[in-house]
Amino acid sequence: MMVWLLMLLATGAHAERVRIVVRPGIDASAEYTPGASGKPAVLLVHGFLQTRDFPTVATLANALADAGYPTLAPNLSLGIPNRAQSLACEAVHQHTMEGDSAEIAQWVGWLKARGHQRIVLIGHSFGSLNILAYLSGKPDPAVRGFIGASLIEAQTDERRRAELLATLRERMRADNAALVRAPLSFCKAYTATPASLLSYLQWDRQRTLAALAAHHDKAFLVMGGADERLSARWLEALGKAGARVKVIGGASHFLDGEHEFDLIDATLSHLALFDGKR
Amino acid sequence: MKRVALRHLALLFMATLVGLTAVIGGFAYLKSRELAALVAQYSATGARRELDAHIARLADALHKRGEALARWDETRLQFVSPEYYAFWRTQRVRDSGLLPAGAAVELFRPGGEALASPRFIPPGRIAGGAPRTFAAQSGGRAWLFHVVAVHSDDNRQALLGYGVIREELLPAVRQGNFHFIDPATLDFALADGEMLDPRALAARARFALLPREEQRLYERLLTQTVLGLSGILLFGAVLTFWIVNRLLVKPMRHLARQIERMRANEGTPLRDLAKPLRVVELEEIRSSLYEYQMQLAELHGTLAIQNQVFRTQARQDALTRCHNRRAYEEDWSRLVESLPAAPQDVAYLLFDCDRFKPINDTYGHAKGDRVLVMIADALVMALRAQDRLYRIGGDEFATILTHTTAAQAKQIAQRCQAMIEAAPFAELGITEPIAVSIGIAVCPREAPERIAALPKQADIAMYSAKQPGHHKIVLYDEVARDATDTLVASRETSALFQALAKPGMIEMAYQPIHALPSRRLDYFEALARIRYAGELLMPQGFLPVVASRRLEAEFDLAVLMAIEGDLESAQLPAGCGVSINLSAQSLARPEVVTQLLELSRHADRHPLMLEITETSLITQIEDVRSYLDLLRSSHYKIAMDDFGTGYSPMRYLVDLPVDSVKFDISLVRKLAEDDRAARIVADFARMMADAGYALVAEGVEDEAVLARVAALGFAHVQGFLLGRPMPLAALAQHCARAQP
Repeated sequence: MMVWLLMLLATGAHAERVRIVVRPGIDASAEYTPGASGKPAVLLVHGFLQTRDFPTVATLANALADAGYPTLAPNLSLGIPNRAQSLACEAVHQHTMEGDSAEIAQWVGWLKARGHQRIVLIGHSFGSLNILAYLSGKPDPAVRGFIGASLIEAQTDERRRAELLATLRERMRADNAALVRAPLSFCKAYTATPASLLSYLQWDRQRTLAALAAHHDKAFLVMGGADERLSARWLEALGKAGARVKVIGGASHFLDGEHEFDLIDATLSHLALFDGKR
Repeated sequence: MKRVALRHLALLFMATLVGLTAVIGGFAYLKSRELAALVAQYSATGARRELDAHIARLADALHKRGEALARWDETRLQFVSPEYYAFWRTQRVRDSGLLPAGAAVELFRPGGEALASPRFIPPGRIAGGAPRTFAAQSGGRAWLFHVVAVHSDDNRQALLGYGVIREELLPAVRQGNFHFIDPATLDFALADGEMLDPRALAARARFALLPREEQRLYERLLTQTVLGLSGILLFGAVLTFWIVNRLLVKPMRHLARQIERMRANEGTPLRDLAKPLRVVELEEIRSSLYEYQMQLAELHGTLAIQNQVFRTQARQDALTRCHNRRAYEEDWSRLVESLPAAPQDVAYLLFDCDRFKPINDTYGHAKGDRVLVMIADALVMALRAQDRLYRIGGDEFATILTHTTAAQAKQIAQRCQAMIEAAPFAELGITEPIAVSIGIAVCPREAPERIAALPKQADIAMYSAKQPGHHKIVLYDEVARDATDTLVASRETSALFQALAKPGMIEMAYQPIHALPSRRLDYFEALARIRYAGELLMPQGFLPVVASRRLEAEFDLAVLMAIEGDLESAQLPAGCGVSINLSAQSLARPEVVTQLLELSRHADRHPLMLEITETSLITQIEDVRSYLDLLRSSHYKIAMDDFGTGYSPMRYLVDLPVDSVKFDISLVRKLAEDDRAARIVADFARMMADAGYALVAEGVEDEAVLARVAALGFAHVQGFLLGRPMPLAALAQHCARAQP
């Protein structure tokens, strides 16, 4: 831990603000640190409705940049031009899981355009689910690994999930775009269009574990031993999915405090596997 | 110089304090008004300043809200996905807390078109450069507008449009924390559609100033101070007045009053000056006055005691220690005055010692005095404790018994007599029995008007008791009853009382008295008659009534009046003398003596002689003697009448200035006989003639007796032989016939 502290103080990597147009009229930005050659580029995806400035992500990005890894920490646009602030649960959400995956793909492409051929995707919380959704689609071959911190499924009131899904689908069929309010992840009253909510709600426990199982060879999970946001027997299920799971005892969902260093240590240890590989 | 009372000075001091309080209050009031004007001016300036500042703050806050709006991701979202713009501007903007309540926001495209149907459109052109804030009147209300450009990124590379925030001006302004302005009265004078820089708003503002709390506090403090000061001054004035009044004015007035009372000789109770005073100087005055009063009181006490001693001595008989005549007269007057108001039974007891004169003559004055003392002591012992014994004459005592009936008075009288009988007169060597005659008169409560007659009635009763054979205690009522039987009903009594009341009824008869041996008519003896019911009553008929009624003096006065009339009539020949009969009791009466002196003016024309009958006792011999000396100096001759009868003729001859002695007819008749009695009378007559007394023989009715008396040296003679009593009218003829 002390080694990384010294590195943080000594190196001081310089990040640059980069921007892409995710769709017409909507730009998205990211903090990019070039890093050292020979190291895989790291694409960090923030949690649900958050930004790259969320402490867990920002700390990890800084640590990896300082460790010489090229890091790219974007803000998923969520349909907002140059989104720079976390989005309120009560805001009108029109973004979808598919849109998020497309933006991840765009940023992977941006990295590749910068010459990074080995890319490791790191996500925190819902960002890990976003990466799984991306991997479940047509992931770029340059993506060599996936580190999921505090991976979590798209949680809602499980007793009403099926009913809610049916309703949303019905609205979709009826082209009813009226806003819907329902629990999603940490939001008690997530306000969204039916398409938006449906796209996320479909990523339930089974679909998530299935996606994980499908990409278990790439996946390395760092989980908090005291994460209260996880559903029952989630860590056990993750292990059964075949992924390597690092459980940090006593750490919460945000792996903050003293557990930041455990997260960084674990991440760097896993990234070291990709150092020097072609 | 007009004098001022200390109390008025204290009032003046208090009034000055009150006036001073009023001046201070008035001055404070004027100053407070000046201050109020200054505060109003200061408030107006302050109000403009604070309104400027508040509007500036509002504009600044609006600017900041506009910046936040422009930077808000959800604002940019509306430009790219305006499907839910209506929800955003109503719900999200409100929930985000970006705008204050009552404010609204609208988004416009870069060309100025509204993103959706707008709730308001700001006046003027929306598109522009820098954000701007302005005020405008719209729909009758004043608004604050802020227009801000919304770009796609922080570098403002792409303009998404404009955000306009509208906030109602008055509520926003009125929410300000004003010190000078009353927000409720705040208003702005803006024309509809007019746009105004916020900095110019204050000049358009209309408002009322808040009442200045500090001014109100100051005025209240000033009022309280003035009131408090006034209260303190007033309290101080009242307290001072009270202290001055209590410590100075009242004591000084009290002292002045005491001094005034002393000056007016009203007398000052010592206790009024006994209480010490708090003020030293006044206390010195008071203590000096007190000591002075003490000394005066002691002096008064001494004088009062001495006065009491003098008064007692003046009312005490020096010999017997009982009350004297002065005390008697005072007590009697007091009783007579008070009786009508408080009727009661009153008894009057008059005591007279029997045969006191012989005792006095026999045993001497010293023992006589001792007898009087013992009689007085015995009477005092016999009387009741509250009864007073008065010595009203030589051996005459009296007492006035209040609340006493006749029966009780008689019992007391009997007790007096018993005590005197028991008195040890024998110790004085007096062997004769000594007794007192007691006359009692009673005034019953039913007839208080009778009180004045009591002394006279008691005297009559006592006189009756003196009579030989009478009881020694006589009640006047019993005498009056007897008199009713014997005297009162008689013609003579009625005649007497009428004659005393009515002048003219007494007529004088004159009997000639001739000188011896020449038988020359020398003078007449005036003899009284009473003309009553057409006839002339003779002395033997009415003189007993005079005696029994003790009317000697009154009768003699009436006789003198009749003689006066006769002398005035000039029917009596000049040179003829007149001899006037007087009782011994009358000679002790000043009014009788006065009348005699008045009559003496005729002495030049008619030599005057007084014949004193000695059938009655002369008790006041000293007074009689002095009166007789006086009358002799007024040319009266004094003759002792009826010599040979009555009381102690020798004593009278010795003690009284007698010129002539008239032998009683009983002695003269003895001369006609040839026996021892005749010889004694003859020897006695010669002896008295030798002693220098002019002798008069009365009752001479024949020549033999006339010759005899002439031989014995009698100087004058009268009787039927020489002339009977005759009326005045016959005198002139008789005189002419008698003179050779």
